[in-house]
Amino acid sequence: MDELQRQQDLLRALSGGAIAGLREQGARAARGLEAYRANAEAGAERALAAAFATVQALVGADDFRRLAREFWHAHPPRHGDLGDWGEAFPAWLAAHAALAPWPYLGDSARLDFALHRSERAADAVLDAASLSLLESTDPSRLRMVLMPGTALIRSRWPIVGIHRAHQLAGEAAEHAFAEVREAIERSRGEDALVVRDGWRAVVVPLPPADARWTESLLAGAALADSLEHAGADFDFAAWLASAIRQAWLKGVLAIHD
Amino acid sequence: MSSGRHDVGIGLRQPHYAELLNTTPPLGFVEVHSENFFADGGAALAVLHQARAHYPVSLHGVGLALGSAAGLDPWHLDRLQRLVDRIEPLRVSDHACFARAPGPVGVVHANDLLPIAFTEPALAVMAANVSQVQDRLRRPLLIENLSAYVSFTDDAVSEPEFFARLCRRTGCGLLLDVNNLMVNALNAGEPDPLQACRAFIDALPIGIVGELHVAGYCEADTIVIDDHGSHVRPAVWALCAHALRRFGPVPVLVEWDTDVPALDVLLGEAAHAASLHG
Repeated sequence: MDELQRQQDLLRALSGGAIAGLREQGARAARGLEAYRANAEAGAERALAAAFATVQALVGADDFRRLAREFWHAHPPRHGDLGDWGEAFPAWLAAHAALAPWPYLGDSARLDFALHRSERAADAVLDAASLSLLESTDPSRLRMVLMPGTALIRSRWPIVGIHRAHQLAGEAAEHAFAEVREAIERSRGEDALVVRDGWRAVVVPLPPADARWTESLLAGAALADSLEHAGADFDFAAWLASAIRQAWLKGVLAIHD
Repeated sequence: MSSGRHDVGIGLRQPHYAELLNTTPPLGFVEVHSENFFADGGAALAVLHQARAHYPVSLHGVGLALGSAAGLDPWHLDRLQRLVDRIEPLRVSDHACFARAPGPVGVVHANDLLPIAFTEPALAVMAANVSQVQDRLRRPLLIENLSAYVSFTDDAVSEPEFFARLCRRTGCGLLLDVNNLMVNALNAGEPDPLQACRAFIDALPIGIVGELHVAGYCEADTIVIDDHGSHVRPAVWALCAHALRRFGPVPVLVEWDTDVPALDVLLGEAAHAASLHG
């Protein structure tokens, strides 16, 4: 028998397809396949739960388990590292008909995955010497480079508040959830910066000008263009001080033709 | 640098990171799942670097999918190579299984240890994939025998012979998991499972076994599951002792991956393995 065909058949059997040529018969064969299926689904659930803690808290453990299994079959992993799997989960959740009553779920998932990615990003330190370029070079010839794993999630939902409320307990949590419910009713959007604080990734709410600025930096625009995109409200000196202090900035790069 | 009196290691798992690195009990080596350290950076990788400062590290993969007829994943090989360069491991190993196969929209990775057939074409696939990895990493691999919950009617080569020929053809070694032998014997309904496992061990050539694995299994209704979630069973210790008598004092690893116990419990299992080394 062709080995590629055999392996394809076995993989398909784990999603319910038929397979011939197994030594085990009947219920014993079904039980063997079930052992693999259960292992795969448990792996999917573990991997997604590790990456999407807020989503799991929002939908509850039981629904999350069902969603993880469904997603596993809809978007099976392409690679052998489940820590890297799940990028398509936010869009899949957002498009899921049964989840329509939670329209912010997709954006909360995007924020979760950005945090997960950030914690796996390369470790880096500020190239302090590169800051001297700010004095010697025209801003149209410079780029500000943020730390690996930095991400910006812009949402028309209060994703920072939702994320924060799930980090709290007791009265503080109740208060935070009340605020979030009000923000959801008023469709108050939030922009979230994801950065590393040591080994942990953290969420920083950004005012609109800072969000426009960060968006431009992450798109690789020149410093002069990013300043223009950020607008008059943006305070570059304050941002730079904060970006250095909180280790958001990796360095300044001269743009060569 | 800690080094155990005997070449016995434990699987380094997240619940034990802090305690192990604070207390550095004497162990011959620690073993990790390679894929858990494929990220570009972050805390887990930093812990592994710390562990490496105290112990030799064995990189044990669960995702190369060396038996896949669809071939190896270059993405996986790149990351494994990077990890090997970073950690300079004592040994590199993976399983005689497949995981990659074409699906409706391209090749998928099942992220599981799926059984291969023991046939000539399957041996050719394994040998080609193992050689490709060894050429890339410029070092020999150890290949682990599986616990398999289904098997194929057209198996044409015995499993010990399959591994003997794979090792001869590629220069790789065998990572003999004696718990997997027992799980397979029980699931096959062998009348004397211990004897069947001893016969497997006795059919292997001396000199190809580079490491032994022991672990716990559980009985789940009609099937035995290799869950690495409990103490090593007495019969599996007996097999470990039998293998050490046959192959000499090869390194032994105690695996415990689910319901991970207190570190002391795991170290107790390691101490028992060391006592078998004599």
